[in-house]
Amino acid sequence: MNDASDYIVDLRNITFRRGSRVIFDNVDIRIPRGKVTGIMGPSGCGKTTLLRLIGAQLRPDSGSIWVNGQNIPELGREQLFAARQHMGMLFQSGALFTDLDVFENVAFPLRVHTDLPEDMIRDIVLLKLQAVGLRGARKLMPDELSGGMKRRVALARAIALDPALMMYDEPFVGQDPISMGVLVRLIRLLNDAMGLTSIVVSHDLAETASIADYLYVVGDGQVLGQGTPDELMNSDNPRIRQFMQGEPDGPVPFHYPAQDYVQDLMQTEKDA
Amino acid sequence: MSLVDRVVLLGRAGLDTLAALGRSGLFLVNVLFGRARFGNGWTLLVKQLHAVGVLSLAIIVVSGLFIGMVLALQGYNILVGYGSEQAVGQMVALTLLRELGPVVTALLFAGRAGSALTAEIGLMKATEQLSSMEMIGVDPLKYVIAPRLWAGFISMPLLAMVFCVVGIWGGAMVAVDWLGVYSGSYWSNMQNSVEFSEDVLNGLIKAVVFAFVVTWIAVFQGYDCEPTSEGISRATTRTVVYASLAVLGLDFILTALMF
Repeated sequence: MNDASDYIVDLRNITFRRGSRVIFDNVDIRIPRGKVTGIMGPSGCGKTTLLRLIGAQLRPDSGSIWVNGQNIPELGREQLFAARQHMGMLFQSGALFTDLDVFENVAFPLRVHTDLPEDMIRDIVLLKLQAVGLRGARKLMPDELSGGMKRRVALARAIALDPALMMYDEPFVGQDPISMGVLVRLIRLLNDAMGLTSIVVSHDLAETASIADYLYVVGDGQVLGQGTPDELMNSDNPRIRQFMQGEPDGPVPFHYPAQDYVQDLMQTEKDA
Repeated sequence: MSLVDRVVLLGRAGLDTLAALGRSGLFLVNVLFGRARFGNGWTLLVKQLHAVGVLSLAIIVVSGLFIGMVLALQGYNILVGYGSEQAVGQMVALTLLRELGPVVTALLFAGRAGSALTAEIGLMKATEQLSSMEMIGVDPLKYVIAPRLWAGFISMPLLAMVFCVVGIWGGAMVAVDWLGVYSGSYWSNMQNSVEFSEDVLNGLIKAVVFAFVVTWIAVFQGYDCEPTSEGISRATTRTVVYASLAVLGLDFILTALMF
């Protein structure tokens, strides 16, 4: 895969800061078309930020973000909203519209972006809900759904317009084993059946590695490693090994930086 | 804290205020002049007119009634000493139309509808509903903010008119039905002294200006808030405080210009 068209997303020399903290420092990431790519790394390393950069909800301090041949940070407001119609994003909370029922949530993108007749909208919504196994829940309100069901409805809404690129923000967090299994299966199944490209941001190693074709491990503002799940599992890089094996201490220390323990205990003042 | 630190803090607060003013200005321009793309704009507006306007009717009617009654009672007690109690009608009407109608309606509107708008939008932000709308390719400024802003602009002046009408009626209940002021004097003195352009129209202009400012502050505070429960709480408080102060300040300026 060395042709640019083989990559649906191409981040080049991306630098992004929050205040004085550098989240990404001159990072290059390429997402292969038609594959499931996992972005992994410890909490707070900027995985969700990466998705927000691709979706242009954040702008990088420097670098370019090419999505389907368009440099996203350079697009105007109208062009950006048009480009987003070809992207889908599953938020960690599901982010369903609380004043709409399940059916209307999934129908929402179709109603605002298409002029389809009502019976066709109904058919598409039922198709999408059937794909996530929630056709029978179409009359329920979001507050009547479990966490896993909310994410599945949000997934049905995200794929309503048949996007080319699906982004999943921590899809497995807080899920029971059954819901997690359903989501893992759905991500892979939808990717292959609909010909999507999927980016899964997660720190759930086993689940992500089980469905991803390619993985990036990010941390300290850098790409620490990339490759197939097997390649990363057998990596010699101590940072990657610590993450992939889940070791509590290593290059990422267990203890937050502090002064000497004994010295600290000997002091009497609370804030010393 | 050293003097330099205090100066730094003051400077930072000033810069933050200027930045917030800039953001709110850009926000307003984008909401008002951005290209609308949705065919169901009227449906959204009607829904918000109900939430913002119709649901505020109860508090406006009850407040208007009692304020009119109190005005008549206080006015009567003062005027009767001069043998001028027949002028209580014009006093009630002028006070309501020129001042209390628009001002009290705006203050009540900020407390009832403004705080609700801020909390609703803030919660939508905290639960990523606005972000998900953006990722669906729908501009939340057009879909969420604009209908609420226009609903506020439209409904608050109407509520101010309702407030004045109910207040005048409440004044008549106290002055005429209870205290025995001659009904003909109450209404004819009011009719003779109230001028449409001088009093009614100026009061309406005040209500329109207050509606604009209160709703703008409310929706901006919701949109700009920190997406946490504490952030939403602070934004809601800011809406009520800023809107109330803005209304009272603007009222003085408008009164000085108009009368």
